[in-house]
Amino acid sequence: MKTLSLFTKTFVPSDAIEAEIDLDVKPMMNVLIILIPFLVSVAEYTRLAIIDMSLPPNVTSVGGAGQGEKPKLKLTVVVAPSYLCVTLGETMLDSIARKGQDYAYDSLAARLSSRRLTADVKDEVIVAPRDGIQFKHVVRVMDACRKTGFDKISLASATENPSAGK
Amino acid sequence: MALFKKKSLASVDHFGDTFKPQMTSLIDILTLLLVFLIQSFSAEGNLVTPSTDLTLPMSSSKKPPKPSLMLELTHNGVVADGKQLTANESFARDPDFLVKNVYGWLMAQKVKIGKAETQRQIILQCDRDLEFNIVKRIMFTCSKAGFTDFSVLVIEE
Repeated sequence: MKTLSLFTKTFVPSDAIEAEIDLDVKPMMNVLIILIPFLVSVAEYTRLAIIDMSLPPNVTSVGGAGQGEKPKLKLTVVVAPSYLCVTLGETMLDSIARKGQDYAYDSLAARLSSRRLTADVKDEVIVAPRDGIQFKHVVRVMDACRKTGFDKISLASATENPSAGK
Repeated sequence: MALFKKKSLASVDHFGDTFKPQMTSLIDILTLLLVFLIQSFSAEGNLVTPSTDLTLPMSSSKKPPKPSLMLELTHNGVVADGKQLTANESFARDPDFLVKNVYGWLMAQKVKIGKAETQRQIILQCDRDLEFNIVKRIMFTCSKAGFTDFSVLVIEE
């Protein structure tokens, strides 16, 4: 009686297969050896990016408000050595104390997102660091602003003594 | 002497006729390396070269840089085209915000660029630990020279 070949096939142990099949890996190795130096030469290990920013309208003289029209107040983030604060005009809305070496950027983002809902200008924010602030903190604050949904970021300078101007 | 009587390795029977190195582990390593390199592959390459004199800040920004006019703000001074325009100490405490040497260089660049308003953008490469006082003065100088479209170069996280 004839049986199906599937059932009659004897399975060879894996060791025996390994002994029989001698796979030639030389071409594969050659391809890899050529490909790797090429990829090393074109690889990008640090990716660069840019953050667009502008100066406030009173510096560039390119304002959105027309002649005699009062400019709309924008949310401002003041970066001081010991705290961050969110202001609207002369009114301080929020203040976040610095914790150790870094500022609480997540907390700032949360406060900004809640303040953005009630602000007149919802797409623009002014970041105003004090003179001695390191630039890495300014970039982090700008990141927090962008995360909240502010597309336009203006960079201004915060006065050391705000009451002196009055 | 025993040294000269010693049999060579090739003549030892248990080594067999040919020696076959184990290639599987080597191919595994190369495959992993290949995957890593393909992941970091960039067809465009870096259009902007960061300065070696400064450490750029990290940011979550994903916007790729375009080639444009560039100023490098290092710990020591302001550098453009590989030449130091001015030292930071010379203008850091100056009551006038305008940095004359930088302004002069920018005006020369403005003449080179011509009347194309769209090309009046500038990329600032600022050291991450640099005080904002320096950045502020350079930005003010750039705006006075007509470069009001600023970008800051950062390292993508």
